Order: sequence, then C-alpha cells, then structure tokens
Amino acid sequence: MSDIRNSNPGGEDYEPQISASGTDAVGLAAGGSAAPLPTEDKSYSQGQLVARRFFRHRGAITSMIVLGLLVVVAFTSIGVGPIPGWWPKDYTLQYDKIGDGAPTWEYPFGQDTGGKDYFALVMRGTQFSLIIAFSVGIVSTIVGTVVGALAGFYRGWVESVLMRVTDVFIIIPLLAVAAVLGRMAGDSGIWGLALVLGLVTWTSLARLVRGEVLSLRERDFVLAARAVGTGAWRIITRHVLPSAVGVIIVSATLSISSAILLETSLSYLGFGVQPPDTSLGTLIHDYQAAFSTRPWLFWWPGIMILTIALCVNFIGDGLRDAFDPRQNRTKD
Amino acid sequence: MLKFILRRIGVSALVLLGASFLMFILVINSGDPLKDLRESNAQNREQLMAQRAELLRLDDNPFERYWDWLTGVAGCFTGSCDLGVTINGVDVLGLTQQAAASSLRLITLATLLAIVVGVALGILTAIRQYSGFDYVVTFSAFLFFSLPVFWAATLLKEFAAIQYNNWIAVGQYAPTTIVVAALVVGFVLQAVLGGTRRRRLVTGVGAFAFVAVVLFVFNALDWWRNPTFGLGGVLLVSAAAGVLVTALVAGLRNRRVLYAALTTSVVGTVAYLAFAPLLVNQPSWLLLAGLFVLTLLVSAGIGAAWGGFARRQAMLVTGITGVITSILVVADILIANWSSFLGIKSRPISTIGSQTPNFTGDFWEQVLDMGTQILLPTVLLTLVSVATHSRYTRSSMLETLNQDYVRTARSKGLSEREVIVKHAFRNALIPITTIVAFDFAALIGGAVITEQVFGWKGMGALFQDGLNAVDPAPVMAFFLVTGIAAVVMNLVADLAYAALDPRIRR
Amino acid sequence: MTTLDISTPGPASATGDAVLSFEGLDVTFKTEFGDVHAVKGIDLEVRPGEVVALVGESGSGKSVTSMTALGLLPRNARVGGTVRVGDKVVGALDGKALRDMRGNDVAMVFQEPMTALNPVLTIGDQLTEGLQLHGIAYGKQAMARAADLLAMVGIPEPERRLKQYPHELSGGQRQRVVIAMAIACDPKVIIADEPTTALDVTVQAEILDLLRSLKDKLNTGILLITHNMGVVADMADRVAVMLKGDLVETGTADQVLNHPRHEYTKRLLAAVPHLGAGPGQFGDVAAVTATPDDLPALDLSNLVIEYRRVGKPTFRAVDDVSLSVAQGEIVGLVGESGSGKSTIAKCALGLIPAASGSVSILGSDFRRMKGKDLKALRRRIGVVFQDPASSLNPRLPIGDVIAEPLVVHQEGDDKSRRRRVLELLDAVELPRNAYNRYPHELSGGQRQRVSIARALTLDPELLVADEPTSALDVSVQANVLKMFTALQERYKFACLFVSHDLAVIDLLAHRVVVLQNGRIVEQGPREEVLHHPREEYTQRLIAAAPVPEPLEQRRRREARHALLAQLGDEVTELHVEDDYERPYPTRDEGGNASGLGGFMADGGS
Repeated sequence: MSDIRNSNPGGEDYEPQISASGTDAVGLAAGGSAAPLPTEDKSYSQGQLVARRFFRHRGAITSMIVLGLLVVVAFTSIGVGPIPGWWPKDYTLQYDKIGDGAPTWEYPFGQDTGGKDYFALVMRGTQFSLIIAFSVGIVSTIVGTVVGALAGFYRGWVESVLMRVTDVFIIIPLLAVAAVLGRMAGDSGIWGLALVLGLVTWTSLARLVRGEVLSLRERDFVLAARAVGTGAWRIITRHVLPSAVGVIIVSATLSISSAILLETSLSYLGFGVQPPDTSLGTLIHDYQAAFSTRPWLFWWPGIMILTIALCVNFIGDGLRDAFDPRQNRTKD
Repeated sequence: MLKFILRRIGVSALVLLGASFLMFILVINSGDPLKDLRESNAQNREQLMAQRAELLRLDDNPFERYWDWLTGVAGCFTGSCDLGVTINGVDVLGLTQQAAASSLRLITLATLLAIVVGVALGILTAIRQYSGFDYVVTFSAFLFFSLPVFWAATLLKEFAAIQYNNWIAVGQYAPTTIVVAALVVGFVLQAVLGGTRRRRLVTGVGAFAFVAVVLFVFNALDWWRNPTFGLGGVLLVSAAAGVLVTALVAGLRNRRVLYAALTTSVVGTVAYLAFAPLLVNQPSWLLLAGLFVLTLLVSAGIGAAWGGFARRQAMLVTGITGVITSILVVADILIANWSSFLGIKSRPISTIGSQTPNFTGDFWEQVLDMGTQILLPTVLLTLVSVATHSRYTRSSMLETLNQDYVRTARSKGLSEREVIVKHAFRNALIPITTIVAFDFAALIGGAVITEQVFGWKGMGALFQDGLNAVDPAPVMAFFLVTGIAAVVMNLVADLAYAALDPRIRR
Repeated sequence: MTTLDISTPGPASATGDAVLSFEGLDVTFKTEFGDVHAVKGIDLEVRPGEVVALVGESGSGKSVTSMTALGLLPRNARVGGTVRVGDKVVGALDGKALRDMRGNDVAMVFQEPMTALNPVLTIGDQLTEGLQLHGIAYGKQAMARAADLLAMVGIPEPERRLKQYPHELSGGQRQRVVIAMAIACDPKVIIADEPTTALDVTVQAEILDLLRSLKDKLNTGILLITHNMGVVADMADRVAVMLKGDLVETGTADQVLNHPRHEYTKRLLAAVPHLGAGPGQFGDVAAVTATPDDLPALDLSNLVIEYRRVGKPTFRAVDDVSLSVAQGEIVGLVGESGSGKSTIAKCALGLIPAASGSVSILGSDFRRMKGKDLKALRRRIGVVFQDPASSLNPRLPIGDVIAEPLVVHQEGDDKSRRRRVLELLDAVELPRNAYNRYPHELSGGQRQRVSIARALTLDPELLVADEPTSALDVSVQANVLKMFTALQERYKFACLFVSHDLAVIDLLAHRVVVLQNGRIVEQGPREEVLHHPREEYTQRLIAAAPVPEPLEQRRRREARHALLAQLGDEVTELHVEDDYERPYPTRDEGGNASGLGGFMADGGS
C-alpha cells in the first residue's frame, strides 16, 4: 500500500518496474552475490516520500501558508497573556466611534456597537478558537488512537467493551453530548472546554485505528515480531502504530477542522465559550442581528472560521493523498 | 438474516440504555436548575424553589430518578407513555410528538436529497477525474463542510429569501443576469459532459443559447409570477427523463426498454388528464399516496409487458420514469397554484418557523406554504451532507473502477456506461451505506442549529431550552427520538448493505 | 533486438493465417517517475489451434503485450507498431469497433479468479451479458446457452450455478467460469494471462487439460502468458521468451526448452527446480547427524487447531497432526490451499493456540510456558514468511529490521549489533550499503534475503519457513534456494519448510509430510514419499505437478490420465456435443430499430 513499486501509476494492470532497483537477478553470476542496489546516494524513508508527495499538493501547501500566516497574525497582533502584541488597540477598550463604525484605515475590521476595535476582538476570538481546535485535535487523537489500538490489538473482551463504549458515544448526537459537557465545563475556561470536547470527539478515529490495527496485526512483519518474542508494547509502538500513522494524522487533521466548527456551533448556541472570554462563534452569535445594518460585524468572524476550516481540510486532503498514493494518477 | 437483525437490535438496545443513563446523569449535573430563582427578588422565592425542587425531585437519588424515567419510557410498549413533565409542568410527550414530526420531516428530506445529489455528483466526478468539473465540485465540497452552519444560514436567509422575495414582487430578470446565468449553465454543462474540444464547444454554446432564450421568453410572459407548465410540458419532460434513464440503465440500443419508458410517459400523462379534476378539486395526502402506489404498479406492469429478455431492467426503468412523471404532475399542479399563492403570501420564502402562522388557503396552497418554509433549512442541511457523500462516493467509485472485475467487464466488450452502471456502481455503493448511517447522526446535530437559526419549534428547541434550564425530561426526550432514529437508520443501512452485497446475505 | 527465431515453419496443428499478430509492438508508460519503456518493438503471431507461450519474469512486459491486443492499456500508455486480431488492426479501430472486437474476436482469461468476477452479480448475469451484447442470444436462450457453456467447461449442475454468486464457488470453478465467459462468443483467439498461477497444482492440471481440449476442439488460438516453465512444457506449441520488454528467443517448445540458444533462456531454465531430480540442484544441504536419542527440534503430537467463527460452527483447520523435526533436519510440509500447512507453521511459532495436543520446541512445551521462559524459548526459533512485500516493517531501515531481534532480547550493544547485521548481510549475499536502505527500495528477492537474515540473527536452532520462495520469480527463487542451502549447511539449523511446490521440497527436504484438509496423508523420507508414493492423494499431487521438459511432461500427462482412469475419475476436457453449432451473431433483436422480434414469443417470460 505504501510501496511505490507496487503502486500502480496507470490504475490498470501492467507490470513495468518503476524503480531502478528491481532486478535481483536476472543477470546474477552463479555465486549470486552483490545484488545491485539503487545507485543514488540519497535514501528515502517512508516519511520523506510522504513529505515529497505532500509538497506537490498545491492546495495543501497554499493552505499551510495561509493557516501559518493566520496563526502568526492572531497571536502576535494582540499578544498572548502578559506579552503585548504589535497592534496598538486593545480588545477590551471602547474607543470613540468613527461614523457608524464601518471599516477604516484606523479600524480595518470596523468597530462594534460599543466602539471596540473589531480587529482586536476578532483576533482574540481567532486565538481562542485555534487553541480550542488544536487542543481538541490532540486530545481526541490520543484517546482515539489508544482506544482503537488496544481494541484492535488485544481483540476479545477488551475490544467488545471498548467498542460498545464507542457505540454509546456515537449514538448520542455529538452536538448534544458536547453541549451538556460544554455547559458543565463552561466555568473552567477554554482549556476545560477543549478537554471535554476532545473527550467526546475521538470515536470515529478509534474506529478507524481499530480497523487499521486489525489488518496490520495479521501482516507478516507483525507476526515475525511476535514470533521473535517482542512484547506487546513494543509491537504496538514500533511496528503497528508507525504503519497506521497515515490514518491517524489525516484523521487528526480533520478532527481539528470539525472541532473548530463544533466549538463555534456550541458557542453560538450558548453552551461553549462563556463571557468574558470570546470566540468566533460567540462573535457571530452576538452580532447576527447586525447583518443588515453593520455587515462587517457578521462577515469577519465567519470568514475567519471558514478560512481556518478550509485550510485544515485541504491540508488533510493533501496528507491523505501523500500517505495513500494509490489514487494518484498521472494527469492527462 | 433475521437472527442477525435481531442481534443487532438487541445490541443497539443495550447501547441505547447505556447512553441514556450517561446522558441523564450528565444532564442533571450540568448546572443549577434553581439558578434563576436564587437570583430573583420574588417574595415567595423560598417557596418557589421548594416547589421546583419538589417537581424535579432534586433531593432524590439520581439513580432513582433515572429508574423512574426509564419505567415511564418502558410504558410506551404497553401504551402508557410517560416522558415526564418540563420544569414548567408541561407534559413532554405532547411536546415531543409535535417537535419530532417537524424535525424528522426536515432531517429525512435532507438525507434523501443528500444521498441522491451526493452520490450522483460523486460518480460524475469520479468518471471525470481531474477535469475542471471535478476540481470545482471538490473545492465546493471542501467549502461546504468548512462552513459554519449558522453563518451560512444567515447568508442564505439574506440572499435566497429576502432578496428573492424582493425580486419576485417584480418577477423580471435583468438582461445581464440572464447572460451571466446562461454562461454559467453553458460552462458547467460542457465540463460535465466532456468529450472533444469541438463537442464541448457545441454543448456550451447550445446550452447558453437555450437558457438565454428561455429566460427572455419567461420574462416576456411574466412567467415567474404566473408560471404554467401544462400537459405538454409534463409529457415532454417525462419522455426526456425516460430516454435519459434508459440510456443510463440499459442503453438506447435496447429498444424494448426505451419503448417501455416512453409508454410509461404517455400513460402517465394520460392518467394525469384523467385524474386532474380529482386532484384539483378534492386533493388529500391519502389520494396522493394512493395514486403514487398506483403509478408504481402500472409502471412496473408496463415494464414487465415490454421487457422480454430485459424484463428486470425494463421494470427498473419504467419504475423510475413513473416516479419522475408523478413528481412532474405534482409540480405542475403546484406551479399552477403559484400565482394565487403569491396573492396570499407576497413574500413567499420564509425565514422563520416551520409554518406560516394563521395561514389559510386550499390544500395545494398549504403544500406550497410548507414547501417554502422547509426550503431553506433543507437546502442548508443538504449542502453539508452532499459534500460528504460526494467525496466518499468519488473515492469509492475510483477504488471500484480499479478492480479486476471491471477489467474483465471491459474485456468482454462492454461500453463505459455499462461498465459503470452495471459493474462499478453497485459495488461502489456498498461502503457508502455505512457512511450514510453515520452521517445521519451528524445531520441531527446540524438540525439542532438549523432549527435554532430558522426559529423552528423542533427537537433542537426542546433540547436547547431543556438544557438551559437543567431540565432532564425534554433533553432525554430529544435523546430518545434522535437515538432511536439513529438506531433505525443503522438498521436500514445494514439491510441495504445485505441487499447490495450477496456475500453477507444469510 | 536480438530475437533468435529458430522455429521451423509452423507446427502441424497450426493452420491458416495468424489470428493474432504483433508487429514491432512498442509500449511506453508516462509515470510520475519518468517514462517506462515496457515493450520494445516485438514481433509475434498466434495461429488458429496453436498455443503460443509468452514467457518471462515479472517486469518483462508480457502482460502489457497481451493487453494491447484488447486495447485495454491505461491512458498514460503510448503504443507503437501494429497489433492485428484476425484482419482487424487494433490501433485503427474506434471505440465502438474496439468494443465489438473484445469478447467476440479476442477474449481474455485472467490470473485471479477470485477478483476477476464481479462479486455482486450472479454467474448467469455475467455469462449472458457478453452473449446479449454481441447479439448471440437473448433472454431465456442466453440463459440456456450459458448453462451449456458451464457444462462444456465441466461445472456440474449448471442451471443451479447460474443463479449463484462468485463467492459460492471454489477457485477452480471460478476459473472455469472465467474460461466459459471467454469462449462464450467463440473468439478466434484467447489470451490467458497466468491462468493457473493462483490455483492449486491439481486444479491447475485440470484447467490446463480444459484449455488444451479447447484449442483442439474449437481450433482457437491461445496466447498463454506464464512464468511457469512446467506449464509451458505442458501446453505450448511455440514459445517466446521476453526479457525487459525485448523478445529474446522464439521457437517450438522442444527447441526453446530443450535446446535454448539465448543466454537468458538457458539461465532461466537452469533456475527451474525439477521434480524428481532430487537434492543437489542448487547446492547440498547437510545430512542429519542427530540420533534418535537427541531432543527433536520441533515435536507436534496430536495437534488440533480450531477457528471459532461468529454464527457458524467451529472450523477444525488442523486435525490430530503429529510430526517431528530432528535437529539439523529439513522437513517439507506440503499440501494444497486449505490443507492447514500454514496454520501448523503459525502454531509451531506460538502465534495461534492449539485446541489440544502439544507443541514442544527442543523439549519445552509451548503451552506450559509464560513470560520470561517463553521469550527465551522464542529466541531459539526463526521465521521466514511468504510475502516479501509485507514481511518487513516498511518504516524501518534494513539494518534496524535485522537487528530488531537482538534489541528485543537485549543482546550486545550498538556496535556489536551493527557488526552482526553486516555479517548477516554478507551471509545472505546483500551489499553492506543495504544497511541504511528501506524495504521499498529493495526487490522482492532482496527483501526475502533480508527476511532470512532476520530469521538467522539469533542463531536459531529451528527455522520455520512458510512458502519463502513462492512469491518470487524462478531465477530469484533459485538464488534464494542456493543461499538457503548454503546457510543451512553452515549453521545446521533444523527447518520446517512449508511449500505447495513439490519440486522445491524435492531438492531441499530430508523428510516430507503431506497434508490434506488438516490431516496427515503420508509422511516419510523424501525419496519414498515423492518418488514412490503409497497414498492415492500423494500420487495425484505428484502426477499433477508439471516438469519443464515437453516430452517428459507429455509422458507424465499421459501417466496422470491413466492414473485418473484407474482411480475412476474423468479427465477434464471441453464437452462439445456432436451437433455443436458455432454461435453466430444474429443482430435482429434488441440490436436494431425493429428490435421487437420475439416479443410475443417470450414477452411474458
């Protein structure tokens, strides 16, 4: 699957040897020593090959750059915690309103109804949304990977119990359980919210990882490792999970983008980030009635959410293509 | 198979039980139900608090409360449902029935639409992989599942409802709008149909000219405010649909199937003529359902009669043609009622609520009202699911097209159409059934937000209000309905899976 | 181009003009790694009633060549030269004419019967669609004709089979269905791409008999693509040898197989193990020195292995098997698919539990051991698996792969481990710079060498080898076998060698155990079991294995037919009735505007 020599550039069946190394062989002298190896000095690991394919995905690279810029701007402009940023205005202060608060050079995103600088506010919301999304991505990936790997590797009752637990979480609408937990964690700030959201969004990854582990544990190299007496922990961490890393990374990326949307949805419903904290979702919620009178209050946070989610999704797509080159055909 | 289904239902019931317990405990611990009273200045504060504590049984053991809720639900099997009362003492069962009806209508409609559109788009993009069309659909799909639902809803309200309502008051397209629309249609069509450069040019220009002329004629006739379709229109479109379905399923070379489809169109149109008085004067849902069943029977009969050696294909084609014809008939009647509907409701597309309050009109006008109310939420919910479905279908289809049996089929001399429709499509559908079932749960989540944005009094409101008040009964009712819906959906997916894949049939 | 055409003008069986011919065929693929020149201008023709074998190893371009005859190459292929099917030039046909030709003039039999049939359509559906498409029969008539076809290829109860799905048929039956599909429209030429590679040897012999009678009775030309020299000797009238896209030698089967002229052909033939030739073909293995008093390296007694399945009765994969491997002895475990041979190997490695019976390694019972003792026991066993693509962890460089057992058992430091790995790389004849390479950069044979090196890292006393050479090309297999015998001579490990290939077992094993359906049929010293088998099943197995020498193979085939007759079995052949009529496309139904003929007749069917 992740072997270029077996990948099928045309999609249909034929058998040209792509790499130069594929000749054990034919021309060997009777002693059969010193089979030829690729002559180029550089040796590519699987990871490097994946990276090479990823960097050819134009959409993903563009998204990487855009997302990177966004993160940098969001965190440097208004600063983090005690560290000040380069943007002169504060998101908590109310300034004199210029006109009806429409975007100007001084207030590029405009001002809100009370005269606050909307750029600073949106950046503050973006910071919180990003923090929550990435924390949720990390927490859910860890939980999902552990649950999936244990269920897939040990089978038996471990698997039954873990998968039934997964089913329980799947059958409750995600938004519902997230809302309940979000409400409970609302007082403990964004970190608490991120943690509980991570604890409810791991289910799809757990199923994916389990499926992957189930097939990997029957692969010959895992059997060989077991036959030699390798312990379960070493097999999982050194042989099984590294091969499942494609599934995990892709899924983690996508869970980040869905976490962004989940967080904003919850905040919009009033179950997510609580005042005085603010996130992109609460901004839209607060100003949704302003659409016809002060459209900029509505557009900016929405575009931010859309941009972040879109970038993350494209990066996920690029990663998927890079890890699974089966569907890569030469363009014609 | 029956054993398998029973086992699945048993496991699902246990999972539901576990989930309901978890949910119950979480909800009653999610906040302080007395918060608003604690902060109030009412004189009888203490008394009110005691009253509510009594009502919600705050002093009782949570397990006891859960058990009582569970026995109330279990009563549903014996005909004495008790889902408890809300914090204000309203019976939840009644609330739930009302809310579930409108929510499930929305969700089911969106699911069906999403499956049809999503799968169709997925297949087209797989066949035209790496074409301009593929890129556009791929990008749109990413865009749609990156959209915050509530944000998109506001946009949709503004541009699809308010602006349309403003426009329909006049009902004339500006010439530039027409040209742009025709250009877009022409461009999309040539990208979808593909072929040589010359063929694409002809397709594009033809579509452009057709759309432009039609729109100008409609303008001249004031069609948008007084639309008519007519018997001829029904016959023409139905026959065209018949030809298209035949071309897809059996190939135009198969004359028996083609004639069967055309017969269905003609019979359908004649039947419309015969039943028109009944439909216009004494319409009811029962009548519509009865006629629909009749259509299916007659269509299948026509297929069986014409089919010969290709009987199964013919029946499939006539069945689909029959369904399309009946949809056209209903559409024709609705279109005929549009101008009188505009008379009653001058701003037709609604942004709030699932029904126009105090709306009075005849049967068809009420149907139109319901349609215009449900339109925007459905579009919104569908868009997100379409994005998911089309991506999955695309990759599943690409995977299938790489299989050995597809190569075998090609080596027999089958055309691309036959290879795709007969050999690849069914295999590609198998994994999609699972995705559809999973997506259903996500749709419920989307529906909660959509209902909130569009002001529907559905399950979403039940859930949201209940949770805000830390009131377990309505929240659990929400869970019960969505949980059972999800279980049923999974079961349907299992059955579809078994129907599609003979390897797991037992 | 160094084609040596030493064929005399056509064998007696071939008559008339070529039904399939390639002239200066040249194919290039555009890939993301640059152009791949797969076929470099070859000339070849197939006449009616003639079997032409196209021989070569993987990557030689033989499959690509065959696909050009159907016009089925992917879009990134550029085809030069002329391909003719009958009087049609494939490259000049438009889409419709090309599709009319496929199935009608030229048909294909594919390698994998498991995947060549659509799993969701019935056998009847898949058989009749070609008939209807090419206007040979419709509706009930098509079904009747499909049943005839199934009967012709020797499938019992054809009517019932028509309603079944592919998964309900065995591998051999599926391949018969594929052949029935290929002959449905009576093509002039059939291209069989490794038609028996995925099948057991007895089934292979049946399918080959079927193909042979097909060309005799229907006078169809067959282009047989294969890497198996035994199959070539059994089937071919003429042979063409391909090497890296070039045709290096063509001639009659006798000329090419018995008097090869080109270096490559000679090497290829020398690399084929010959059943009956015994040990010494690729070096000698050490004689067994252990006495009966010594502990056996592996001892299985009354072993039973069962698989529990959800919703179905438990499946007994291995039933009451007892065998032992003495120290320094190579025991060949042979059997067809489903015989339980790999299951036994996995159980001997402690990878699957035994339901009852005992597995003891050098006197210690696997089932009574736990934790540290078990781990200590495991270091005395090495393992080599079949599939070189999946037996190495793709994420680890070769050095780490080979050193892994040392790390697991915490032996030595980095320096000594590295030394040991380099030593082993030398032993398996791999260059030392393979140390930092990743598995995907190695060829199949090189990977299998790495597998063997890894198995030998801890100097095991017992090696379990599960079909270690089955996935390799013959010349690669020969090299690996040579190396294996050399290593065995040097390290004197005992070995349980699982294989379906009797010729490989014949040159390697001291003793042989024959399995069928989880039970031992026969076991004993190699000469006895393989050269003077007592049991009927063993006799069948050996009779069905082809040898790469046409005359000897003919004798063996006739001997096999005699054996089957003696055992009361029928020899597989195409069952053609005396009044068999060539199907003739009638385009008067469904195919044209009138299209209604027969509507009244079978309209209600």
